[in-house]
Amino acid sequence: MNTRREFLKTGLAFGAAVSLAPWSRLAAATTATTPVAPAPAAPARSVLVAVRDGSRSAMADQAFAALGGVGAWVKPGQTVCLKPNIGWDAPPERGANTHPELVGHLVRLCLGAGAKSVSVFDNTCDQWQLTYEHSGIEKAARDAGAHVVNGKDQSLYREVEIPGGVKLKRALVHSLVLDSDVLLNVPVLKHHSGTGMTAAMKNLMGVVWDRKFYHQTDLHQIIADFLTLRKPTLNILDAYHPMVRHGPRGKSADDLVEMRTLLASADPVALDAAAAKLLGLEPAKVAYIKIADAMKLGTMDLSQVEIRRFSLA
Amino acid sequence: MRQRGLKILRVAGAAAVFAGLTAALVDFRGAVPPVVGQGLASIQFVPSAVALATGAGVALACLVILVVTLAAGRIYCSAICPLGIFQDIVARLAGWVRGKKALLPYRPARTWIRQLFLWGGVAGMVAGGAGLTLSLLDPYSIYGRIASGLFRPVVTLANNALVDLIRALGGESLYRVIPPWAGVAALAVPAVMLALVAGLAAWRGRIYCNTVCPVGTLLGLVSARSAWQLSLDPGACRKCGDCLRDCKAQCIDLRSGTIDSSRCVACYNCLDACREAGIGYRWTWRKRSAKPASPPVPGANHAASAADPQRRAFIATAVLSLTTIAGADRLLAVTAAGNDPSARPGAKDEKSPTGSRRPNYSRAICPPGAGSVDRFLDTCTACHLCVSACPTHVLQPAFLEYGFLGLLKPRLDYTDAFCNFDCRRCAEVCPDGALGLLPLAQKQVTRIGVAEFDVERCIVKTKGTDCAACSEHCPTKAVDTIPYGDNLRLPQVNQELCIGCGACEFACPSKPDKAITVAGQRRHDQAKRGKEEKARDPRRGNAFPF
Repeated sequence: MNTRREFLKTGLAFGAAVSLAPWSRLAAATTATTPVAPAPAAPARSVLVAVRDGSRSAMADQAFAALGGVGAWVKPGQTVCLKPNIGWDAPPERGANTHPELVGHLVRLCLGAGAKSVSVFDNTCDQWQLTYEHSGIEKAARDAGAHVVNGKDQSLYREVEIPGGVKLKRALVHSLVLDSDVLLNVPVLKHHSGTGMTAAMKNLMGVVWDRKFYHQTDLHQIIADFLTLRKPTLNILDAYHPMVRHGPRGKSADDLVEMRTLLASADPVALDAAAAKLLGLEPAKVAYIKIADAMKLGTMDLSQVEIRRFSLA
Repeated sequence: MRQRGLKILRVAGAAAVFAGLTAALVDFRGAVPPVVGQGLASIQFVPSAVALATGAGVALACLVILVVTLAAGRIYCSAICPLGIFQDIVARLAGWVRGKKALLPYRPARTWIRQLFLWGGVAGMVAGGAGLTLSLLDPYSIYGRIASGLFRPVVTLANNALVDLIRALGGESLYRVIPPWAGVAALAVPAVMLALVAGLAAWRGRIYCNTVCPVGTLLGLVSARSAWQLSLDPGACRKCGDCLRDCKAQCIDLRSGTIDSSRCVACYNCLDACREAGIGYRWTWRKRSAKPASPPVPGANHAASAADPQRRAFIATAVLSLTTIAGADRLLAVTAAGNDPSARPGAKDEKSPTGSRRPNYSRAICPPGAGSVDRFLDTCTACHLCVSACPTHVLQPAFLEYGFLGLLKPRLDYTDAFCNFDCRRCAEVCPDGALGLLPLAQKQVTRIGVAEFDVERCIVKTKGTDCAACSEHCPTKAVDTIPYGDNLRLPQVNQELCIGCGACEFACPSKPDKAITVAGQRRHDQAKRGKEEKARDPRRGNAFPF
């Protein structure tokens, strides 16, 4: 356990965090739009990038710049599965789905980095063709060069074992999630009447065929269980105008608050913990975040996370 | 008297109407704009007559059809009615299979069978089963159910078979769709009708239209008296029989040299078949007031030439007026009484699924825009255009859920789907006003049912884990959650806000019985729409509260 190497690693990471974190905040304040130089080596601690007050595309660019560039995550020739939240038949201004501008921009970034293909899908809650169309995502993704794939075609799902799962032992999972080299999880931040909130971890409910099983069994535990099968390569949260009540469907644009924020992290637990705070929630009060943290699928203790903050205002 | 262009016109018109309507009815991916199906359905005789009789719209198509029929015969039956056109296609295919054209010689009209169906239909409407009678006898609706219930799943299966092929060729235009089979019971009626109509068509052309179909009989009564009628020219006709080979109505009697205009469907095949130009439209009205130009052929014994034209005209007019009055009277009564459940005998409060005795309860739920179940059952002809158009497939043909009088009428089935909040597609395509097109904001508060929650079945209580799938799906937040137990959220229903869309019932994962179900409403009413302030920022001033 306590090898010398681990001790050194922890120490180095800690030192890096202490020295880097304030500096990046300073950089944000002074040179707002200048991308920060690529981070040196992969730190041992989770890294979370928080960007605010820019357009969705600009904030995504900033996040990637702070995470070593798109090329650090998407290598030439790789296949990318981009999973936005396309749950509801609602237009972009209702905030029920990931914004199409962000989806389109990320598709272009991936293809620009040399991705072989980018595929976009969701197992929608509302009727899927209407939802794909009215969310604006189908058009945005297609115009950017992505394949838009049917999430309601059971033949595209494969049954897999989930040995690490506590309650989710096997599931029909969309083949794009199982087979793509890169899984980009691109949720939208919303209040949720069942789980308290939805961001990165809950968005992955949309990659399994049988959503009802989740609800039947133990929603929070199973949301955490899925991460043992596949963790997203990177999670990018659209918190431009989060839905702060009546989620996850929402009733009107009055349910949204403009925050003009975007979070990005490879650690979905850390990202959800920060997202919970944006909604005024204590991360440990959101059961699936707490469970995932206890299962060591990530960390919800934000004091243990290296947070790189940027303001593009 | 060459009139050859007529057949081309008839075929072109029929092809356009049939292709458009069939496309709308078999459309499994929402590709056909609603205006196509609605437009071609609203020029059909019965839907237009219903719309006119109930005052649902200025539906003049039925009047135009009557006027056209009085002018030049049953053009409706050949060029507009999809069931008629379908029979022509079946007869043509059967001819190809047989390898030769069937020679259908002249047969006398089966007048008593025609009258039986016509008067039976009138009696059925007067007796209170207007909606059921119309739906079982209207030829357009019969075809609609066949295409929607039987053809659409087959087309879907064909699409699914092509998906892999197209993908292998690099295309992405196709995707797999779950074949939309309705319940076996609800499919039996269209299946039987398909077998009957197709079988009769393969055997004897338009015999269905000229014996069973009351619309055919009604228009036949008018066309028997039409101003222009197809007639044989005794000077040119050599009685070669070429026309008989192409006549699908068995209405050309060469022996007497007459054509039974009540059964002629104005297909104009004979015009093209006759090499002598011995058949053509002739003006008949002046002849009738004067003395007949040519005396009846000796030995002719069929009814049309023997009967007194004045007496028959009187009978026809009487039939027409009675039918119209009976139909309109019944339908108007229904429209006026649409909001009064006592208007229909047998309407009474029943128990909802959760056992509570509700006034105004209906076991089956009819779509928003119907007003009430009673009005819907009397005015909907069950053409299933809305069933095909419904993007979520929540609309399914009923079997006995509405009772016998509601056989085949669309109902909302929340087993696998729910009514999309922002969608009015069913009312957009409805051709006869059974579903009125409400403004979207009004549709979104129109209550077709009310959710009832049984906490004893709810997973949050029975298993002690969070769920709230019902609340998650609720578009009006009539189903919300309240804190419960140890950091859990329990669903709570505010029935004042509920519109009965069924999203909660669909989503509820509780087994074997759902914890939340929608009790249908016999009369639709309005849910409340709560006004709310703009949401407040929960971050309390700190842009990055972490």
